[in-house]
Amino acid sequence: MGLFDKFEKNAALLSQLSAAGKNPFTVVMEEVLGPTRAKIKGRETVLAGTHNYLGQTFEPKAIAAAKEALDHDGTGTTGSRVANGTFSGHTKLEREIADFLGMKNCVVFSTGYAANLGAIAGFVDRNEDVVLIDADCHACIYDGCQLSGAETVRFRHNDPESLDKRLSRLDPKYNGKLVCIEGMYSMYGDIAPVKEFVEVAHKHGAHLLVDEAHSFGVYGETGKGVSEAEGVMDEIDFYTGTFSKALASIGGFMASNHPEAEYIRFASNPYRFTASPSPSTIASAGAALANISENPAIRAKLWENARRLHGAFVQFGLRLAAKPAPVISVLLPTREDAFEAWSFLLEQGVYVNMAIPPGTPGKESLLRLAVSSAHTNDDIDRLVAAYGALAEAFPSARVDGNA
Amino acid sequence: MSGIQEDDDLVFHKITSLLEPLNEKGVKLTRETDIIADLEIDSVSLLDVVMDIEDNYDISIPVNTISEIKTIGELVDAIHKIKKEQS
Repeated sequence: MGLFDKFEKNAALLSQLSAAGKNPFTVVMEEVLGPTRAKIKGRETVLAGTHNYLGQTFEPKAIAAAKEALDHDGTGTTGSRVANGTFSGHTKLEREIADFLGMKNCVVFSTGYAANLGAIAGFVDRNEDVVLIDADCHACIYDGCQLSGAETVRFRHNDPESLDKRLSRLDPKYNGKLVCIEGMYSMYGDIAPVKEFVEVAHKHGAHLLVDEAHSFGVYGETGKGVSEAEGVMDEIDFYTGTFSKALASIGGFMASNHPEAEYIRFASNPYRFTASPSPSTIASAGAALANISENPAIRAKLWENARRLHGAFVQFGLRLAAKPAPVISVLLPTREDAFEAWSFLLEQGVYVNMAIPPGTPGKESLLRLAVSSAHTNDDIDRLVAAYGALAEAFPSARVDGNA
Repeated sequence: MSGIQEDDDLVFHKITSLLEPLNEKGVKLTRETDIIADLEIDSVSLLDVVMDIEDNYDISIPVNTISEIKTIGELVDAIHKIKKEQS
């Protein structure tokens, strides 16, 4: 009653899906068998719906570092970063991330979500400042804007001209202006023209925040992200990222060349009022970070796998959302198609993510495959076979589907 | 017809022409139509329509304002207010 009324519509759909054994939102990894395999519904399944881009969930150096931290520092910090929750591991990792990115400072948060929430709400004043965000930004950026309470303006996805227009028409009353974009967008796997955004933002005296959650460790000559690939690492104002994808841990960070950026430690509730990451998660993130530099072959392997899969899907005539990238999404016209296609793949022994509007950029639903450098040739063969069968069984997933 | 009334009709017409493609149930669009509840469109689709309106009138309508708007009439009023402020 009252509180729960709003759940009714979704509850009916969800129970219908669960009854049919086709609910993508209640999957349990019953037993994890490796970085790309788990038992789901009692069956060994290839995992292609994780964000284990560099396959580091079982990286021996990361596991050893986590175990050592557990033995030395215990299971948790039981406190926030500004109280008792800053251990030497936290400050060491902040230094390592800043050095890796070539930036002056870094602030570690408890999740990537908290990092964006905390950075936006920490920097932006509700009465004086304004935030401009790419329409396809992640929910944590929208939530950060809401938490800040400041006026928020959306511009068209990956469209620097649309940002330029909106910055031009801004009321001069605003003091600070923060522009938020992402490096690689997680739904389609498309990347931002970061260099053009830097130019537009700075032309109008705005600061640029780039969320590289999905592109950190993955894009760029040395894995610094799309900003590195675009040659503008020194020009972006704030860089946010997560430990839960390429680093296969949990936590997040904001790095910057502005010395003042560190003040968000004292101005940001998502930093001040939540417990800090546990010592073992910090330790494994640090070891995984070091491994990115020590072992560039994992990034090369990721890209090799991504190109192989993307090429095969193009051959099958599947309707793909973007160019080859570590995220490869197949578009489907309706959410009914998406539920059916998703469970079809699971029956083929392949787990991917399913996304439906309004969680997707357009009106269409999608099946999102996240590639891992840990995908073996056998994994790739199984993925290719499953998607080949999908293309046969679901004409609506093909480019020629409506012909 | 006063200038304001004429402008009001034009803005109303512009909004309904942008909403019509999303009006799958064929609801009659009036000033009282609740955009999200009556048309059963999601919040992001509404934000996208608003972006078209922004570019059409060369104004900025903050996301915060949109979240307070329920009906087409309220959207018309908000656009007038912002046009006046930003002109």
